[in-house]
Amino acid sequence: MPDWPQFIRQHLPPLAVRAERENEIVAELALQLEQAYSEALAGGATDGEALLRAQAQFPDWNKLARDINREERPERPESHGKLPPEPEPAAGFGWFGGWFGGSLHDVRYALRCLRKNPGFAAISVLTLAFGIGGNTAIFTMVDALALRRLPYRQPERLVAIETRKAQQPELEAWTSALDFFDARQQTRSFASMAAISPIWNVVLTGRGRAERLECLYVSAEFFPLLGVTPAAGRLFLPAEDKRAQPSGVVVISHALWQRRFGGSQEAVGQSLNLDNSVYTVIGVMPPDFRYLGEPVAGTASQIDAWFPLSDNPLTGSIRGLRFLKAIGRLKPGVSAAQAGDEVRRLGAALAQQYPESNAGFSWNTLPLNEQVTGRIRLTMLLLLGAVGFVLLMACANVANLLLARAVSRQPEISVRIALGAGWARLLRQLLTEGVVLAALGGAAALPLAYFGLRFLIASGPQSLMGNHNIHLDERALFFTAGVVLAAAVGAGLPPAWRVLRVEIGRPLRQAGRGLTAGHHGVRAALVAGQVALALVLLVGSGLLIRSFQRLLDVNPGFNPHNLVTISTQLPAGARTPAQRTSVYSTMRDRLLVVPGVANVAAVSRLPLLGRSLGSWVFVEGKSTPGAPTADIEYRVATPSYFATMGIPLRAGRLFDDHDDANAAGVLLINESMAKKSWPGENPVGKRVKLGANPERQPWIVVIGVVGDVRHVGLDTEPRPEIYRPYAVNPLGAPALVIRTRADAAPMVSSLSEAVRSVSAEVPAYDVFLMEALVDRSTRERRFVMLLLSAYAFSALLLAGVGIYGTVSQSVLQRTQEIGLRMALGASPGTVLQMVFGQGLRPVAVGIAAGSLAAAGLTWLMRSILFEVGPLDPLAFAAAALTLGAFAVPACYLPARRATRVDPLIALRDDG
Amino acid sequence: MIILALLEERARHGYELAKLIETQSQNRLQFHVASLYPMLYRLERKKLVDGRWVEKAGERRRRFYHLTPLGRRTLAEQRRTWREFVSALNQLTGFSHA
Repeated sequence: MPDWPQFIRQHLPPLAVRAERENEIVAELALQLEQAYSEALAGGATDGEALLRAQAQFPDWNKLARDINREERPERPESHGKLPPEPEPAAGFGWFGGWFGGSLHDVRYALRCLRKNPGFAAISVLTLAFGIGGNTAIFTMVDALALRRLPYRQPERLVAIETRKAQQPELEAWTSALDFFDARQQTRSFASMAAISPIWNVVLTGRGRAERLECLYVSAEFFPLLGVTPAAGRLFLPAEDKRAQPSGVVVISHALWQRRFGGSQEAVGQSLNLDNSVYTVIGVMPPDFRYLGEPVAGTASQIDAWFPLSDNPLTGSIRGLRFLKAIGRLKPGVSAAQAGDEVRRLGAALAQQYPESNAGFSWNTLPLNEQVTGRIRLTMLLLLGAVGFVLLMACANVANLLLARAVSRQPEISVRIALGAGWARLLRQLLTEGVVLAALGGAAALPLAYFGLRFLIASGPQSLMGNHNIHLDERALFFTAGVVLAAAVGAGLPPAWRVLRVEIGRPLRQAGRGLTAGHHGVRAALVAGQVALALVLLVGSGLLIRSFQRLLDVNPGFNPHNLVTISTQLPAGARTPAQRTSVYSTMRDRLLVVPGVANVAAVSRLPLLGRSLGSWVFVEGKSTPGAPTADIEYRVATPSYFATMGIPLRAGRLFDDHDDANAAGVLLINESMAKKSWPGENPVGKRVKLGANPERQPWIVVIGVVGDVRHVGLDTEPRPEIYRPYAVNPLGAPALVIRTRADAAPMVSSLSEAVRSVSAEVPAYDVFLMEALVDRSTRERRFVMLLLSAYAFSALLLAGVGIYGTVSQSVLQRTQEIGLRMALGASPGTVLQMVFGQGLRPVAVGIAAGSLAAAGLTWLMRSILFEVGPLDPLAFAAAALTLGAFAVPACYLPARRATRVDPLIALRDDG
Repeated sequence: MIILALLEERARHGYELAKLIETQSQNRLQFHVASLYPMLYRLERKKLVDGRWVEKAGERRRRFYHLTPLGRRTLAEQRRTWREFVSALNQLTGFSHA
């Protein structure tokens, strides 16, 4: 027997009544059909005849729905000419109940409609899933990297305290230990203050292979200030952070605990051999503990161990040696502004008290959160904004599709309104379709977001992702729910609003026509909006692509081809310069015998690893005695370093083997230093002094000028720099550079082995092909550029689909008009021109509006552009041309179809 | 009035009402079942009849309509008016009783 209720639902147009009432009516009508059917069968009819007889009971479903709607409508004698009445709300729930009471029915109805149009449903759901999934993935990343509160107790009370050189504000902010101790003693605004050393490398020996660890020296207040507790053991006692003697204690990370102690509870109290000294493990940090502030911010460093600050050999040095990062926790009731004032006052007092080391330095505070995320927040918000644009475009496309369907349902909607369906009821039903689509899109978006996020984490630069725990969590799900709701309204409201605005209060005969004519305006506006959004994204990605091109054109100052770098550390036993030089010579000799090695050299700090060391320079005849000396970059290099790296000599000579510890002081300078200190002069033979107190230092002669090297990054201008001979200052942790005769990649492991073969205490780490290092220095920019370009491309596709869909629909709806024009003598060329021209009009409007919007928005991007202005005409022109190139075929194809309209068939349809 | 009259005796469901109208008028009345339900809904809205779902043993659950007190009064009123109308017609057309 047929499913009669289902049969009724398929045939009876939706009633303008509450869902429960509709269910009752359907059940009652179904009984009528069932009984007629059974009676016919009992009377000897065949099944087919019985079916026909049952169906004959209700020959006109539309009329039946109309009649029922009329009879169910509450009496309202004065409703003529006014808004149609709403259905009665569900008892007990008022308007709210009425609104939601029937929504289940609406959802079912929407699902039924979608089932009937699987193509439409699939395209809409996938479009929204793409937009929502992209938003969820990017939000999760941006949230973890830039929006989330820091994972410490009351993180809003934490501030970073910075000391900067007023004349060189571009230099990184570091504070000296003595200044920190004074400030800590005198402060009234901070409940506590802590200092953190730069990331330090120590070598762990005695438990298997030597391993280099990344460490921080932190003052005893560090952990309590953050409000963190250890997973096992304890943290530093104030007594362990006194400079009298080495503390011999260390707190280790959860990862090191797992790696070296297998997670054993016995680890606390055991000893570790670090840099040939014995330390006792007193505590293990929880697995999720990361310090996110500087010096860790912006690096991929995973800190393995923490030592008391007083163990750091630099702690007892001069006031002028700034090597610490300082943080503080505000006292209750003290505002950040008050603390800032106090810190500035303290800085000024110290400058007065110690002018030789502190004059020209200013102190300031900023929220710790700002220090952690400030560098990347703009980029992250840019990505979030871009993916938001893509979602808007996806919504616009789905709104366009819904609008097209609304047109096909216009007779039904007109009838329902004429029969008294409430506008709120219809609005709910039209919106429900958007909600259902968005919910399905959201469901499909979650796996997309999951895999998208995994891709982001895998492909994103370590310096960005390294210290963050990024995964889909409840915040991401809340965000997705919000996005789904926004998508539902974004996709469902334009068609609903348009349909109802046209329909309400309009006579039935005109209603459909009004909708057809009027909705075209909405669709054109949606297309113009899409084009404008796509243009903004294209301009943005164009600017980043141009920046990146410029960046790749930058000469790093050396030849990275066939060059390997290995960082190492000399055994702690090699203390004197002679011992260190001897170990280095052994290392070099072992490397030189590896087949394919052309040259070997050592330097104190490698380019592009983000590490550098500064010094002060006093230039004879230029610097004023007593005035603050200028900061410069300081490197120590072996004689063959420049030839090995391919750094060109510009004037004078390079180091040779005679420039040893016994020779007169010599140094090399880079071109930037030459230009800054001796503009228009030959610097060779000039003399300088190095160090904080020039009056006590010997003169050093400039023997040559070498080319500039981009040490910090390709996008950072080289700073004035000097090189000193390795023999004068043999370093404990040299970075080796090895030039090979052929491709260096296959040789990497044999080179590392050669370094380790010198001694069991010698590690080989940070082993890089120099080309990979150059590449790594651009990864952050490349990542953002590729993401934004991917969005721009998606936007381009969505805009193309949107334009094509709109023009196609317009041709479809104007078939009769086009037929009439052709019957009256219009040539296919004229029709093509008309449709094509009308299709391109919103595109032109969109490009114009998008250009204006882009001009306003790219201004925000200027800090992440490199040697490209935010109004770069090439980026704007390329964006407009690309969009145009997509829009032309999207308009042309349906326009050409319009020229094939057969006037006779088109006019015959006009019944 | 026909429906009210058919419900005067006892409660009936839609299908039964349709069949009764069809058989009792001996197909002289041009009545279609598609009009019956809207009409029942109107009567219900005017509180002349009251529809209730009733489940009887061994039978399907059906919606039975019965006359409300207002329905009874209205039926009586309509009968009176109808009688007056018919007698007026009879007088006018000369078909009066002797």
